[in-house]
Amino acid sequence: MRRAASRIAIAMTIAALHVAAPAIAADYPQPLPEEPVPAVAVLPEKYPESWVFVHDLHFNSLPDGRVAVVDVAAENRNVKGQIPAAQFGNVLPATTRPEILVGETFFSRLTRGERTDVITIWDAKTLSPKGEIVLPGGKRGLFVTLKNSLQFTNNEKWALVFNFTPGSSVTVVDLDARKVLSDIDLPGCSLVYPTGPRGFTSLCADGTMTSIALDAAGRAGPTVTSKVFNDIDKDALFMSPAMVGRTAWFASFTGNIRGIDFSGAAARDLGMFEIAKPAGGDPEWRPGGWQVITADKAGLLYVLMNPHGKEGSHKDGGTEAWVIDPVKKALVRRIALKNHSVSIEATQQASPLLVASKPDGSLDVYDAATGAFQRTIVGVVHDPMTMTAAR
Amino acid sequence: MSHLDSFAERMTRKVARSTSRRSLLTLIGGAITGAATLPVLPVSRAQAQSHGGTPSGMAPQTTGNPQDPGDQTQCDYWRYCAIDGFLCSCCGGSASTCPPGTEMSPITWIGTCRNPADNRAYIISYNDCCGKSSCGNCLCNRNDGDRPMVRPQANNDINWCLGTESAIYNCSTAVILGVAVDEK
Repeated sequence: MRRAASRIAIAMTIAALHVAAPAIAADYPQPLPEEPVPAVAVLPEKYPESWVFVHDLHFNSLPDGRVAVVDVAAENRNVKGQIPAAQFGNVLPATTRPEILVGETFFSRLTRGERTDVITIWDAKTLSPKGEIVLPGGKRGLFVTLKNSLQFTNNEKWALVFNFTPGSSVTVVDLDARKVLSDIDLPGCSLVYPTGPRGFTSLCADGTMTSIALDAAGRAGPTVTSKVFNDIDKDALFMSPAMVGRTAWFASFTGNIRGIDFSGAAARDLGMFEIAKPAGGDPEWRPGGWQVITADKAGLLYVLMNPHGKEGSHKDGGTEAWVIDPVKKALVRRIALKNHSVSIEATQQASPLLVASKPDGSLDVYDAATGAFQRTIVGVVHDPMTMTAAR
Repeated sequence: MSHLDSFAERMTRKVARSTSRRSLLTLIGGAITGAATLPVLPVSRAQAQSHGGTPSGMAPQTTGNPQDPGDQTQCDYWRYCAIDGFLCSCCGGSASTCPPGTEMSPITWIGTCRNPADNRAYIISYNDCCGKSSCGNCLCNRNDGDRPMVRPQANNDINWCLGTESAIYNCSTAVILGVAVDEK
């Protein structure tokens, strides 16, 4: 097949030359140089801060999820490469070594057969797989991508995997030794928020959070459960916070912001403040979308807001990004988005960009300081649910 | 809410009795369901939003029963008030059956939807159908009463292909479990 195709291609090329060659060859005395094959692009070990990992849930073919690596500041050639992330995968770029972790699930016959859950370790430079750690029990949590189902702890030496069967548990993985250290049951609690030097916190169905410190062997140590603070019925917190250092800023369904300090061995509630709501909501402005809150390097928060906020609107996306100063607890400015958007992410540059993903899989890029629209990048992914800026 | 809890308990027992092979998982699912708070929710909100819900373009499928009105290929069908996924009606199944060759998940999330014909609130179980890849037709996402992952039993983002032979998600049903509110 390939040989026949090449012959046809050569024949067509010769035919084209006969038509075009006489007039143009004189203008270009030297032909174009021959190009070597095979030729495969490579990336830098450390990605520029204008690069963003865009996770594609690929809802139309979940076993074939992927992540696009995108330079949102470039004028062209924005998509730098792709990483597979099968079946409700998670992506977690390392900051201490040139590796990208992907949590994923396979079946031996694609849709049936033996289930294998793994953390695949990808080389950041070549985007080739360089290792994997098989996760036992076929219990990795499968749901629409949330960043806090795969996280680092212990200075990125360990990974934490959230499991859901529907019993909740966390698998602690030693990335250096490529082995599982422990499984920790988490009845009634969800996801992992790295806490202290070595440990994590989970949000619980009763409105509390539980912090578990890990010992040197990865086993559960001292456990601290907070007071009730998450009013899940009336004003639930979105599960994905914006991180400013070790402080997480969570948005709530009705538009409040709650800070949680994860720097100590046990998480500390910093309290909640309200975003003052301007007029113009119908019936009211509320956060809406999938990844609704993000932070820049200076610590400003950006919240994706929907003017048609009401019960059940929390995943409807938004039309503005509101810039919030969490120290002053104040709305600093509003960025009118060109298009209805699903998720937002701020790059970690000194002059940050705000990236808004759209339902059609394209990205709109704005100057985060001025709100000025910069560009649309089309054809990035199918379902851009979460984004992670390079750090 | 006590009448709802006792309803859920009755349902748990009924379902557990009728599914011996996976009775334990069903019981767990039922227990989760029983713990849920069940608001009576508004319905009939057609959506063309970020996560899906545009008109399907499929030929209409009605039950023919005036007490169960609407088109089961459309996101605004009354039972779909808290659904998230591909409608099985567009995939070889129906609002209450899975497509051939798939397996219905024994545990799932639930919502409460009001039937516009008889004005009763029904508890709807959104059982996923599993074992074939994403159907790809009639994506519908409505979130009345949906709560984040912190409360899994009220969360429609989870792949509920749990306790099935394969965890691969195909489509979602909207099965009537019963009437939510005891009528006086």
